[in-house]
Amino acid sequence: MPVFHLDGQPVEFEPGEKVLSAALRAGVEVPHYCFHPGLSVVATCRMCLVDVVDMGNGRPMPKLQTSCSMDAVEGMKVETKNTKTLEAREDVMEFLLINHPLDCPICDQSGECVLQDYSFEHGTGKSEMEYAKRVYGWRDVGTFVALERNRCIHCTRCDRFTREVTGTNEFGMYNRGHELTVDTYADRPMTNKFQGNMADICPVGAITDKEFRFKRRVWRLKKTPSICTGCSTGCNVTIEYDKNEVFRLKPRENPAVNRWWMCDEGRLSYHVMNERENRIMKPRGRVQGELQPISFEQAYQALAERIAALNPGVGGALVLTDTNASNEALFMLRKLAQDGLGAEQVFCPMPDWQQPDSDFFIDSLITTDKTSNRAGARELGLTGVADTAELKTTLETNPRVVIVLGNPFEHATELREKISKTQLIVAISPLFNGWTELADVVLPGQLHSEQDATYTNKQRRVQRTHIAVQAPRQTRPEWQILAELLLALDKDAGLDSADAVLQALGQAVPTFEGLSLSRFSEAGVLLPGEANDPGRSVVDTRTAAA
Amino acid sequence: MLEETLILFRNIRNPDYDKSLKGYKKAGGLKALKQALEMQPDEIVQLTKDSGLRGRGGAGFPTGLKWSFMAKDTGKPTYLVCNADESEPGTCKDRELMLHDPHQFLEGMMISCLAIGCRHGYIYVRGEYWPSIKSLNAALQELYDDGILGKKLLGKGPKLDLTVHPGAGAYICGEETALLDSIEGKRGHPRVKPPFPAVSGFNACPTTVNNVETLTCLPFIVNEGAEAFKAFGPENNAGPHLISLSGHVNKPGVYEVRLDANLKDIIYDFGGGIPNGKQLKGVIPGGASSSVLTADEIDVTYSFDALAQAGTMMGSAAIMVFDEDTDVVKLLHRIVRFFSHESCGQCTPCREGTHWARMIIRDFLNGNGNEHKLKRLHRVGGNMMGTTVCALGDACGMPIQSFTTKFADEFRDVQALAA
Repeated sequence: MPVFHLDGQPVEFEPGEKVLSAALRAGVEVPHYCFHPGLSVVATCRMCLVDVVDMGNGRPMPKLQTSCSMDAVEGMKVETKNTKTLEAREDVMEFLLINHPLDCPICDQSGECVLQDYSFEHGTGKSEMEYAKRVYGWRDVGTFVALERNRCIHCTRCDRFTREVTGTNEFGMYNRGHELTVDTYADRPMTNKFQGNMADICPVGAITDKEFRFKRRVWRLKKTPSICTGCSTGCNVTIEYDKNEVFRLKPRENPAVNRWWMCDEGRLSYHVMNERENRIMKPRGRVQGELQPISFEQAYQALAERIAALNPGVGGALVLTDTNASNEALFMLRKLAQDGLGAEQVFCPMPDWQQPDSDFFIDSLITTDKTSNRAGARELGLTGVADTAELKTTLETNPRVVIVLGNPFEHATELREKISKTQLIVAISPLFNGWTELADVVLPGQLHSEQDATYTNKQRRVQRTHIAVQAPRQTRPEWQILAELLLALDKDAGLDSADAVLQALGQAVPTFEGLSLSRFSEAGVLLPGEANDPGRSVVDTRTAAA
Repeated sequence: MLEETLILFRNIRNPDYDKSLKGYKKAGGLKALKQALEMQPDEIVQLTKDSGLRGRGGAGFPTGLKWSFMAKDTGKPTYLVCNADESEPGTCKDRELMLHDPHQFLEGMMISCLAIGCRHGYIYVRGEYWPSIKSLNAALQELYDDGILGKKLLGKGPKLDLTVHPGAGAYICGEETALLDSIEGKRGHPRVKPPFPAVSGFNACPTTVNNVETLTCLPFIVNEGAEAFKAFGPENNAGPHLISLSGHVNKPGVYEVRLDANLKDIIYDFGGGIPNGKQLKGVIPGGASSSVLTADEIDVTYSFDALAQAGTMMGSAAIMVFDEDTDVVKLLHRIVRFFSHESCGQCTPCREGTHWARMIIRDFLNGNGNEHKLKRLHRVGGNMMGTTVCALGDACGMPIQSFTTKFADEFRDVQALAA
């Protein structure tokens, strides 16, 4: 790769790359506001000015150059910390701050505000502005984000976002010069499904997330990388939490999955992570018709006895799961079905789903498959059924034992009624649902934010989650519950960690070969081979809109 | 005594001149276009390069060289866009050309289109210039009716269309890339360069943007040759030049001068001196954005290079003269108020700086100035210069810096008077 010199240090760059991108990749911080890798370059904040002392031909550039728009050239010498650039930065900071309210203590961006950071680093610490500051009227721009225009530094990232990323053009710049401002078109509220990203890319407190603002100061938040399980896209996110309470999800950059973005629906999915009312806190067993709290050991012992007595075997057991469970849980469920119960199949719902296709990448993030691991279930060879009618033949054999993981066939009340007459129903789930009401034994599972687990997204990319918040004490990861059940049934597989389960999965299913949680790329691992999901269809949102 | 050169103004100064196509032909018009049709595009470019013609819009960039930068073999159409936005305060020379001799300008434009292979040229006229727009449209209609423009240029050349596009009255749309945005139907915001318009301009196609006066020079160059054009000025400052003389002079107006005339002579010979026998205080030599010259500094050759040497610039050749009774603080306030109003607002230094400077000068006007504020005003002006996408930051910074340096005492006097 060609090389240029940044502050005397050699930096490699791709041909055509800009100085700023190359510098950021090399870990050199060049302050900037308007530049964002996902948006076009406008070079208007003038914060990233650098001194090009040698253009690669021995001659300097007479003026300071914006590094975001400057092509890197072999042999170029760029100074980012000499007096000329530092003074220019100080001057730009001064210009930005003369009209910016100095109300950091009551601004929700405080702590993650780029203006605050650079002001601390490059500002002079005193304001020379002695005139009335520019004040804009208050505006309500929609349900998801709040707009405080007085704090705006006119970087136009939000404007470019709705023009270039969502293509909805509902937000833009109005007026000119000193009165330049951002607003929605014709006072209409915003309607796009990705507004939260505007709060993310706003470098200051002008656009903030209505869900999150004034709930917690950002420096209190702890951050754990994870994925969004709201649909089969599996956007990479960071879970941000404090005192075991999740406050928000932020998209985590992954060029192969979600780039820098995520949808608002996914952002709101953090609510379930704080769910306590509907959460199953303890194992429960049906004693005299009533679900009573019991311990895991009591549950396992009772189940081992009942299952041995009922001796299900082929046709005698029905195993159901949704496709929200992790790869590890699905693998252990399959193991339990085959080794522990003698059932041949694990059934899961696999209705047809649609993948949007449009000129704008971001639209492809929202699929109609609202489960997180359909592709994983397919890889594991689970039996997908589009409709509960397909379960009819299986039900005709009158299964004596039914195991339900999660909440499959959520709305199939008829199916539930039929199954309710079964002698033994076991439901494993973190949350109460229709199945836990019927169950004889309820085992409390954990959410993806509480465990180390992997999920396979629609591209067949395996992505992992980390333990972010602590699960309630008397819950266990689903894979562990299933492993312990196998142990109780005297069919111990010897798998005692999520990592061990994943590695065993790799041995059983060739496409997963070699995967291990201990060395797992945060960008995910694309499974070898072709995706061939017959339920997938592509919807052209361009023609749909027209 | 200084005389007008009468090359571009040859017809306009003739009281009997009929500005219709018939009249223009009678005055010897369209000869150059016929000749240019016989020439290869490269030959026209070379001829223009040899003539030493420099852009008349403000930057003074060699026109032939600009044309030679046009990206070739891109498979895209090339465009010539004429910048008739003439919005620099004090400038009114293009208006005269468009209003009173549109065919000479259009002939120059057609020749230039041949030179760069343009098949559809645009003329972006300042929104306030309704009479000019009418005049141009009438002239274009004549050219179409006569079969000169259209499917075949002059009945035998390539296809050529010309379109007049009125602006909406923004100063910034005189900046070439903002102008292109404006024609495309977007907000007129200057673009980041590179890419330059010669590579990616109008509709992302190779584009050249030339000033009205620049294009109007072409018929003369093609008719009389490069050497004849060069003779109207010193080395590297070729050709006759239109100046817009305004302010405290007895005979304000647009005059055509050689580029070796003296600024003092221009003011006293063409302008007829200062009214009411007053003394000269200063001159803004090249539009509101150029540095001011004091009365002692006006003995300078009025050419691109000599003015640059004197620390100012020729700009759009709008000479504004002000006499001893002028309040320069008020004058600077008016200039800065203009730039503050016209800033597009995309770059931080210009958006914030123009307004801030205006507030500080207002303090002086209200008698609240002091030495510290004078220094700060000077610094704000300096901080705007060279740090923005387009030249508007410099355009506002230059007068601020030159006024606060050369007329610092007047700022202090305002203060003293208030006290």
